[in-house]
Amino acid sequence: MLKTFRRLIQRRRVARELDDELRFHVEMETDANVARGLTPDEARRRALAEFGGVVQTREAVGDVRRFSIESLWQDTRYSARVLGANPAFSLAAIGMLAVGIGVTTAMFTVVDALILRPVPFHAPEQLAHVWMGNDRGGRGTVAPAVLRAWRESPAFLGAESADVTTAVVEATGALTTRRIARVTPGIFELLGGVRPVAGRLFDSTEGRAGADDRVLLGEPAWRALFNGDPSIVGQRIRLDGEPVTVVGILPASFRFPAWDTALWRPIDFDSPPPALRAARATAYVRFAPDVPREDALRMATDAARAAHAENADLRPWVFPLAGFHFDVSAYPRHAVSLLTGGVLLVFLVLCANVCSLLLARVTARRREFSMRGALGASRGRLIRQALVESGVIGAAAVVVGVAVAWGLVSAARALLPDAFLLRTLNPLAIDLRALGVTSIAGVAATLGIGLLPAWLGTRVNAGDSLRISDRGGTEGRGARAVTRTLLVAEIALACALLAGATLLVRSFMNLTAADRGLDAAGVATLTMSLPETAFPDAGARRAAAQAIEDRLRQLPSVQQIAWSYGLPPSGGAISFGDWVSDLPDAPPVNMLIEHIWVGPEFFSLYRIPLLRGRTFEASDGRDAVIVGERLAAALWPGVDPVGRTFRRDKQQYQVIGVARETHYPTLDATADRPEFYQRHAGVGSYASLSLRCGSNCPDPAVLRRHVADVHPRVQVHEAGPLEAVYLEQQAVPRATAALGVAFAAVALLAAAGGLFSVLSYAVGRRRREFGIRAALGAAPAQLRRVVIRDGLAVALAGLTLGALLAALLSRGLAWLQYGVTPGDPLSLVTVAGTIGVTTLLAAWRPARAAARVDPARLLREE
Amino acid sequence: MPKTEYLQGALDLLILQTLALGSNHGWGIQQRIRQVSRESLSVSQGSLYPALHRLEAAGLLSSEMAASENNRKARIYTLTAAGRKRLQSEAEDWKEFALAIRRVLQTG
Repeated sequence: MLKTFRRLIQRRRVARELDDELRFHVEMETDANVARGLTPDEARRRALAEFGGVVQTREAVGDVRRFSIESLWQDTRYSARVLGANPAFSLAAIGMLAVGIGVTTAMFTVVDALILRPVPFHAPEQLAHVWMGNDRGGRGTVAPAVLRAWRESPAFLGAESADVTTAVVEATGALTTRRIARVTPGIFELLGGVRPVAGRLFDSTEGRAGADDRVLLGEPAWRALFNGDPSIVGQRIRLDGEPVTVVGILPASFRFPAWDTALWRPIDFDSPPPALRAARATAYVRFAPDVPREDALRMATDAARAAHAENADLRPWVFPLAGFHFDVSAYPRHAVSLLTGGVLLVFLVLCANVCSLLLARVTARRREFSMRGALGASRGRLIRQALVESGVIGAAAVVVGVAVAWGLVSAARALLPDAFLLRTLNPLAIDLRALGVTSIAGVAATLGIGLLPAWLGTRVNAGDSLRISDRGGTEGRGARAVTRTLLVAEIALACALLAGATLLVRSFMNLTAADRGLDAAGVATLTMSLPETAFPDAGARRAAAQAIEDRLRQLPSVQQIAWSYGLPPSGGAISFGDWVSDLPDAPPVNMLIEHIWVGPEFFSLYRIPLLRGRTFEASDGRDAVIVGERLAAALWPGVDPVGRTFRRDKQQYQVIGVARETHYPTLDATADRPEFYQRHAGVGSYASLSLRCGSNCPDPAVLRRHVADVHPRVQVHEAGPLEAVYLEQQAVPRATAALGVAFAAVALLAAAGGLFSVLSYAVGRRRREFGIRAALGAAPAQLRRVVIRDGLAVALAGLTLGALLAALLSRGLAWLQYGVTPGDPLSLVTVAGTIGVTTLLAAWRPARAAARVDPARLLREE
Repeated sequence: MPKTEYLQGALDLLILQTLALGSNHGWGIQQRIRQVSRESLSVSQGSLYPALHRLEAAGLLSSEMAASENNRKARIYTLTAAGRKRLQSEAEDWKEFALAIRRVLQTG
C-alpha cells in the first residue's frame, strides 16, 4: 500500500527513467546495426521497427509497475467472459443471491416502516395519544373541557383531537366508503410539517357550527375517486348525503390518525355543529420538551380532574405515537420479528448455497488456476481473480435483487393484511437507505462467501495442472469438508424453516376450521349511534329503529332482522368479577364474561340452538338471562341450570335457558370469552343490527345509504358482512403462514439444488470407481443406492441438526399456535417426509448417472 | 490474456539465468539470450521490459541508473539473493516439466 502510494508520487520520475531506458535500448540496437554495415538512418529505422512501438512497451511496463485500475478492469472483463461461458452456473448463483437480497431488502423495508422508523412528524417522541383510565379500565375519549384544560396546561405545547369513522362518499355517481377523521383545526400544526399538495389546511374558525362543511382530501382518494382533478379544490362533494366544500388535498405521505384515513373534516368543541354536540375529544398532545414527563403527567391529571368530575379517580394513559404498538394484540409485532428471523435464515441458506456453488466452480477450474500459477500468476492475483468473479456475481445480484425487492414491496403493499399496516403512519416504500444497506450487505456477503472458495481453490502448486497422474481435477479434502458442512447447515436451516411453516399453516387451518358455534355465512351487521341531541327519549329512538328496520326489510335479499346491543364474535359489554351460583357452598368463580342484550329472533338469525329452557318473552324482566354452555358448566357443573339463579356483587340473575356456546377463534385466547344474554328492551344511544340475507347481502355502502335516507342523524359506524370480522382475525395468521411456506420453499429448493450439484460433482469425480464396480458385476441398482445413500447421509445429519433448531424455534412460536403442539406427530412426519422426498429427488439424477457409467467407454477415454 | 503473461514462467527463467552470469542492461540481456540460444529464442522488447520491471517489483532483481560501457545512461539490472534462490527452484521445476513433456512425446 505504502509502496503503491510512493510509486504514485514518483510516477513522473519513473516514467522519465523508463523513457531513458527504452531510448538506450534503441540506441544500442542502432549502434549494433551500424556495426553490421547499415547507414545510420537505416540502422535506426530498423532498430525502431524491431522494437515494435515504444509506446506499447511503455504501457506494458506501466501495467507491471503499478497495481492498476486497468488490471482490475481486465480481471472484471475476464470474469464476465468466464461467467458468460457458464450461463447455467451464473444464472443460478446470481438468481439465488438476488432472491436473497431482494427478500431481505423487502423485509427490511416492511420492518423499517412498521417498527423501526418513527412516525413522520416533527419531534415525534413528544407526541402521544392520551386516554383516561384506572386499574379497572379506561376510555379513549375525554370531555371537551379536558381538552381545553390541557391546551392551557404548561405540561403540553398543544392538545388537539382526531377521531376516525367511516363516511359514504359520492364520486362521479358511485357510492363508496372511506375512512374520515374529525379533527380540530390545530392538529396539523400540532403534528408539524404538514403541507397540502393543493389548496390549504383548515383555518382556526373552521369546525364551528355553520363552518364545518369543509373537507380535506387525501391524495390517494383524490386520485382514485376524482381522477386527480385539481379543480376539485373549492368545489362541493357529497359526504353521507351532505354537501361539503373541498378546501385542499393532503399528500399521500400524511397518514393520520390511521394509515387509511382518506378525508378530514374540522370540528370545534367550543361550538360544535348540532349533530356533534355530544361528541367527545380523542386527545392527541405534544409534551412540552422542558417539563419532566412525571411532572407533566401530574399536571395533566390535575387539570383533567379540575375540568370534569368524571376524571375523579382516573389518570392519563399515554400511548406514544413514535414506534409501533398494538392495543389489543402483540401478534403482528411478534409475527414481524419472526418473519425477519425467517428471512435471515433464508438469506443464510442462499449464501451457503452460492458459496458451495462457487467452491465447486473453483474446484472444477483448478486446472486453469494451476496453469496460470505455473505461468507466473501469484496466488494473490489468483485470489483476486476469484474475488472479482464473485464481485461481478454480487453486483449483478444486487441489480436483480433491487428489482425483486421492488416487486415484493409492491406486492406487500397490495396484499399485506390491514392489521399489519393499521398502526404504521409511515408509507410503505423502498427508501434509499434500506436499499443501500442491503446492497452493501449483499456485495459484502458475496465477497465474503467468495473468499473461502478462492482461498481453498487457489491452493495450487506449479506443475499441479500437468501432473500426469491427475485426472480431471480432484476435489481437495478441505473443499469437500466445507461443501458437506455447508450442505448440512443448509438442510438444517431449511428443516427448521419447514417445521416453523408447518406449525403456522396448521395453526391457520385450525383457525379457519374452528367451530364458531353459529352460522356467520350470509349475515351482515351494522353498528350505529342515535345521538341524544337528535333522539331525546326512548320513543324517538324506537320510532327511528322501526323506520330503519322497515326500510331494510324491503331489500329483496333480507330474510331476518335482529336488534341487539353487542354482536358476535366480539360481544357487547365485558363483565368482570366473582360469579356465584345458587348451589349450596358454591365457590365464587372469577371470570371475564361477555354480556349481550338480544331479542328472541337473535338466536334463530344466528342459528344458535337453545340446548335447554326457552328464549326470551316480552314479559321477561332484567334479571332473566340465557347462559352459554361455558358459564353453565363453570357455575353448575353437572346440574341443569334452567330455573337456577346466580349473582355478581348485588346483581342477581335467573337462568331461563342455555344456548350453545359461541366461539371467537383468534390467536389471542382471551378474546374468546364465555357469554350470557339478557333481553334487549329497546334501542339505546348505541345499537347493533344483524341481517340474515343469504348469498347476496347488500353492499355496505347501500346499507349506509338506506339508513341515512331514513334518518340522516343516525351515525353508522361499521357496516359489512360478519364473515369479514372472522376473516380479519385470520388475515395475519394467513399472511404469516403464506410467507413461512414461501421461505421454507425457497430454502428447501436451495438445499435441494445444493445437494444435487454436490452429488453430481461427486459422481463425476468417482466415475472410474463406478466403472470398475460395474465391470466387476455391480448391478445399476446397487450403484444408484451408493449415491442415494451418500445423499441421505447428508440429509440425515441436516435433519438431526434441524430438529434441534426446530425445537428451539417452536418454543418461540408458542404464542402463535392455535390447536397445534410443537411435538405434533403430523408436523414431524410432514417435515421429515418433505426433506426425505426432496433428498431422493435431488439424488435421483446423479444416482442414475452413476448407474449408467459404461466401463468400456471409460476405458477408451483413458 | 495479455501477451506479457504468455509463457511468463519460461521468460522469467531466461532472465534470471542470464543475470546470474552478471549484471546487465535490457539490451544486453536480450542479446545474450539470443546468442546463448543460438538465435532460436528471441525475446521481444515488449515482453522483456515488463518482465524486468515485474521481477524487480517482486524483489528478485534490483536496478539502478548508471553509465553504460559506451557512457550512455542505462538501467543496469542485478540478481538479488531472492532471485538467485528462485532461479534454482524454477530451474528444478522446469527440468522436471521438460522431462515430463519429453516422456509424453516419446509415448506417442
